[in-house]
Amino acid sequence: MMIVAEKMLVTVSPHLHKKDETIERAMKDVLIALTPAAVWALVVFGFNVVYILAVSCITAALSEVIMRKLLKRKATLRDYSAMVTAVLFAFLLPPTTPLWVVAIGAFLAVGIGKELFGGLGKNPFNPAIFGRLLLWFSPLAVYTTKFVEPFFWKTSGFFTPIATSINEGAVGRVVYKTMAGNPVDIATAATPLSLLKSGKWLPDMVAGPTPVGATWVTSGGKPSFWSLFLGAKSGCIGEVCILALIIGGAYLLWRGTIDWRIPAGIIGTLFLLTLVTWYHPVYNLFSGGLFLGAFFMATDWVTSPVSKRGKWIFAVGIGATVFILRFWSLRPEGVALAIFFWNIGTLVIDRYIAVPRFGEVGNKVFNQLPALPEPAPEPAKKRA
Amino acid sequence: MKRTGSAAGRRIPRLIPRIRGGVHPPDSKQLTADKPIRKMDAPSTVVLPLRQHLGAPCSPTVGKGDRVLVGTVVGDAEAFVSAPVHSSVSGTVQNVAPYPHPAGGEVLAVIVENDGENEIDPGLSPRDWKKLDEDGIRRAVRSAGMVGLGGAAFPTHVKLSPPRQYPIDTVILNGAECEPFLTSDYRLMLEAAEEIVEGLRIIMKAVGAPRGVVAVEDNKPQALRAMAETIRDPAIELRSLHTRYPQGAEKVLITTVLGREVPSGGLPMHVGVVVNNVGTAQAIARYFRTGMPLVERVVTVTGSVVRDPSNLLIPLGSSFASAVEACGGFSETPAKVIMGGPMMGLAQYTLDVPVVKGTSGILALSSAEAGYEILREPVCIRCGRCVQACPMNLIPNYLAIYGHREKWADLERLHINDCIECGCCTYTCPTRNPIVQLIKAGKVELERRKALVEKRRKDKAGAEQGEGGGDGGR
Repeated sequence: MMIVAEKMLVTVSPHLHKKDETIERAMKDVLIALTPAAVWALVVFGFNVVYILAVSCITAALSEVIMRKLLKRKATLRDYSAMVTAVLFAFLLPPTTPLWVVAIGAFLAVGIGKELFGGLGKNPFNPAIFGRLLLWFSPLAVYTTKFVEPFFWKTSGFFTPIATSINEGAVGRVVYKTMAGNPVDIATAATPLSLLKSGKWLPDMVAGPTPVGATWVTSGGKPSFWSLFLGAKSGCIGEVCILALIIGGAYLLWRGTIDWRIPAGIIGTLFLLTLVTWYHPVYNLFSGGLFLGAFFMATDWVTSPVSKRGKWIFAVGIGATVFILRFWSLRPEGVALAIFFWNIGTLVIDRYIAVPRFGEVGNKVFNQLPALPEPAPEPAKKRA
Repeated sequence: MKRTGSAAGRRIPRLIPRIRGGVHPPDSKQLTADKPIRKMDAPSTVVLPLRQHLGAPCSPTVGKGDRVLVGTVVGDAEAFVSAPVHSSVSGTVQNVAPYPHPAGGEVLAVIVENDGENEIDPGLSPRDWKKLDEDGIRRAVRSAGMVGLGGAAFPTHVKLSPPRQYPIDTVILNGAECEPFLTSDYRLMLEAAEEIVEGLRIIMKAVGAPRGVVAVEDNKPQALRAMAETIRDPAIELRSLHTRYPQGAEKVLITTVLGREVPSGGLPMHVGVVVNNVGTAQAIARYFRTGMPLVERVVTVTGSVVRDPSNLLIPLGSSFASAVEACGGFSETPAKVIMGGPMMGLAQYTLDVPVVKGTSGILALSSAEAGYEILREPVCIRCGRCVQACPMNLIPNYLAIYGHREKWADLERLHINDCIECGCCTYTCPTRNPIVQLIKAGKVELERRKALVEKRRKDKAGAEQGEGGGDGGR
């Protein structure tokens, strides 16, 4: 019989750890949750989406490996966080972004936005948004701010890679070319939000057929509810199908990976504010990157507050900022900017928003007892 | 408030409020839940550490070569917050020397060679608590060496002596046993419900409380039934609690049962409550019935590598090794042996430590259970899992970060001393950060620094005074 155990492990309690509660699991969950939106993007924008996603993922993985090697850190590729960033970053791009621009952006997102700040957990900004905004503020912006109409692949072919190219003839205008450099007859289309912001509906620019044959604009020229909700509209790769994003978000909520307060706060605030000002509430909700941002970007663990109260402030803040940017600014990327601002705000929220801790005197009726604690009673007891 | 009354029925009111935060680890109680308590024979030598409680350690009252009997006092102290230690066997004192203690380090211990006669000290006799006044009960409880048997081992008579300005209106018996693996309280509730209820009545009398509550987690329906069948007194209620760790933590329990929050830095008596473990109540009742002080306790010896996990009634001072031997030994080498439960228990480096009053369980984990893979370097990814799990509503991740960076002022700002060290934060952390471990270290360091500052201040004041005196003398 063996009694004396040698070399027993001595650690400080607790000695149990929750199973299946790992970063890998959470990141895989996010990737699974993004799948419906990716599939729909494939339907709307053709195989271009796959090229962009592939380039983004490969660049992100390489950036992470190389940056961590340069900075002499342990490799962390297998926690999938670079993949999540890469997919989210690709989702923020127009479907015709040239692949070299995608590669630069993915490097900015993962290599600079995450690894240079110290790796996962130390990045102050959501890496995907960081990369997207850097591109947006760079001279490459022209490649990432023009959108094509949905189902454009019907004229060019499903598998033909199409990229935005600068039109030498007119400054600020772009044309679309295949990889081989042949121009294609595809027109730039306005996104639903830019329609809204320009103040007038532009029927001739957005008219086009849907898969079922009906037009996806209403008689007034603005996209119909169903085209907005189901994603028959121009826009970034990942943001078009609200239904797919809701399915993904619901999956993450069910798995407990994200906190419901953040999407609820963002969407609720924007809805309420647009309702009060009567600024096309439903239209506003279903256009732009609101759902993508609310479910997948703002809920990023690293860059959102840790406490419930902080999460509410963060979410309402983002909703209000999106509203301000959409109401008064003609610029796109309102959601990304808003989340970026509040990523900075997170640091302040976490530090200065107090959480009502257990046992704060006066917190409950019962606690309104004498001031505490009293000095210990005199040791008057005699031994028995 | 519903009450499970005498003959009225077996209805056990379900408590609606859930605890704030907390976690739900797999409870693993099935290993020993159906094993009746089995008495273990004392080994040939028992080691009785003179510090088995919180507070002042005892001084030995016997010397080398003295003969002691079962129940003889071997150590006692003058201090109020202390409890005497009794011999659990009859025999000869072999030595009084420092010995490894399961709580860490070496503690002065009385080592008794067991003569196997189990001769009982003639000075012990049953006492009728109904004839004693409050002070008499307190003194009797102290002389029995009674401490909290849940694990913290706080001297019971101190709990029973609340200052007059805090009237106690409720005594709660803690039968939550929220730690995974442990079943000693559960078995006691099944097998000694009568004594538990009597113990509760003794405690209620000692503190002058009109109401008693027995609180049991709802994953122990049999214990709830047994208690419901036993409670006849209309002043005593039975409460079923949600199964969630740390339901049995004193502050959490008071909040779920009574809706009162113990103020930060306060004690249960500040909200008019005394909390005792069901095991303590049973031991008190047993003492009054038999006159035998606290010389044995129920210990759950369990774990997947123990051949025959059981609930043992172990004479205090028996070594962990003898307890494991009484359970058939290990089937494979354990990677970790823990005193207590897996969430708050203390890992042991040797099995040659005695069972003390605070030993609620001996848990042996295999290397598969004890080890875990750290997939990446520990880094806080600010997911907020620990914040959600913290029953004290603290922000554990920042406490750990500031502790790691030695930012002591920030630790105080975030109320590090409110932490009850339940370990929910570490349990739930996806990156396996040692959160509660850093908090514990931070607490100790903060205390040390405060003491240092205080000492410097005093020294300075003393030096100034000395200088002044010297000048005057000149």
